[in-house]
Amino acid sequence: MSKKMSIRDLREEEVMWSGNPACQGCAGSIVGRLIFKALGRNSARVEVASCAPGFMNIRVPSFFGPAFEGGAAFATGLARGYKVIGREDITVAALIGDGGTVDIGFQGLSGAAERNENVFWFTYDNEAYMNTGGQRSSATPEHANTTTTPVAQYSRGKTSDKKNVPMIMALHNVPYVATASVAYPEDLTAKIVYGKGIKGFRYMHIFSPCPTGWGTDPKDTIKIARLSVESGLWPLYEITEGHKMRLTYKPRELKPVSEPLKMQGRFRHLKDEELSVIQEQTTENWQRLLEMDGKTIF
Amino acid sequence: MIEIRFHGRGGQGAVTAVKILASAIYLEGKFTQAIPMYGTERRGAPVAAFCRVDDTRIRERDLVHEPDMVVVLDPLLNRSVDVTDGLKKGGLVIVNHPGAAKDTGLAGDFKVATVDATKIALDVIGRPITNTAILGAFAKATGLVKLESLAEAVKSELPARLIPTNVDAMKKAYEATNAPVDASGFKKAEIVKKTSTQPMISYSRNVSDWRVIRPVVDKAKCVGCKRCWVYCPETAISLVDNKAEINYDYCKGCGICSEECLVHAIKMEREEV
Repeated sequence: MSKKMSIRDLREEEVMWSGNPACQGCAGSIVGRLIFKALGRNSARVEVASCAPGFMNIRVPSFFGPAFEGGAAFATGLARGYKVIGREDITVAALIGDGGTVDIGFQGLSGAAERNENVFWFTYDNEAYMNTGGQRSSATPEHANTTTTPVAQYSRGKTSDKKNVPMIMALHNVPYVATASVAYPEDLTAKIVYGKGIKGFRYMHIFSPCPTGWGTDPKDTIKIARLSVESGLWPLYEITEGHKMRLTYKPRELKPVSEPLKMQGRFRHLKDEELSVIQEQTTENWQRLLEMDGKTIF
Repeated sequence: MIEIRFHGRGGQGAVTAVKILASAIYLEGKFTQAIPMYGTERRGAPVAAFCRVDDTRIRERDLVHEPDMVVVLDPLLNRSVDVTDGLKKGGLVIVNHPGAAKDTGLAGDFKVATVDATKIALDVIGRPITNTAILGAFAKATGLVKLESLAEAVKSELPARLIPTNVDAMKKAYEATNAPVDASGFKKAEIVKKTSTQPMISYSRNVSDWRVIRPVVDKAKCVGCKRCWVYCPETAISLVDNKAEINYDYCKGCGICSEECLVHAIKMEREEV
């Protein structure tokens, strides 16, 4: 289980150069900075096609950009190569977007998890293919307006639910699975520091709002991420050894889901009845998670 | 044939502006073209878009290299991009600038009309998206298009809830436009290819001209809690003597630090031109 940390425990050393070409208020660049702040420079970066290779000026000695579907396979080879030369101290960190994880890279990811490769996989989830202009992915939530699921006379945005990838990865019986949010950097860092000490496949799913794609004000990036956690839309938990589940943040009372959703342009069209359905599902899901909290699951 | 080039930043709507302009002039019975420049544009990066107007069918399909008119959507853009590059002699530049024509830093054998479109956009629309306001100024300065046809063309390009404010911004800008002034005697501002102040990798670039508003730290109020430091997407905030210090070379003016500051020590102020 990860130990509690505070902002003051974060490493002072900067691992990311300033002056990246990301959009104003980009949560992805905060995620990249926090991840490598926690991991340290003794790590290798694997990034497939996404905003990340373009804008993350991260000072890590080795950077690799394999094909979109080959992220996990490449990380596998890298980890095994380091093992052969006796450098297992180097963390192989795959920093992949939601498209490269839940859709295109999923077969390789599932294989690498099944083989329990020594890889730390980070998904920064902005809930669509934002680098190419916002096409829907399996991580896009229901009713979201994207360029391939536009809201029009007979269309109410995406028709299916978000794929629950952290739980799918936990079912692979990997040593560590965690969810995190960019609004809780101390929680995120604590989980990475804990995960770094484990050998085997570790998976972390990080919620990171995209102001350009979600139609939000750049200044609200962190606010939306925080409200999503406080309303139960994005629960923070970790699953160790494949079955020990623990919620790392439990708000006393859930905020209404309308608070984060109303701030986003992609949910502007939501009607009250649609909102109440989302609210119902979220509360139900949260109750289920509360029951599992601190217990052995699966 | 009249060729027009729009300079703006990603997110200000230069591409939408040429589309609206082309549709508006088309509604008046002329042939038009609207061409966006494709590249790796993100929010805040300099972009260009083009428009052609003629009485007969236009056969050209390439980008505009020698425009008759240039429209600049951002007051600070001419410091990093040569906006009057290739402008024909006696041409016209319409620039979003709060000052007079001589303060814009543009000089040469052309006329300059100014309008404070950012202020109008912030007042009327509430966000610094200047494309529709500058179109109002374009109508006034050139007389090439009527305000009514612009208002008609907006309907096909913007969602319904944004139309009233944008049309209002157009009208306000139409009235607030300063008449074109000959720019041959003015002093030209130097175009600085901005590079980093620290030795960094090639990705590192000076992004100081991306922002419209800038964060200002009240050192007396700052308690050194590090929240702004941890949430800054640009790594532009450091702590000096336990007080937040902003490196304005790398600040894009997103406003997260001001929003997340618990003691309200960071205020956002409009960038001075």
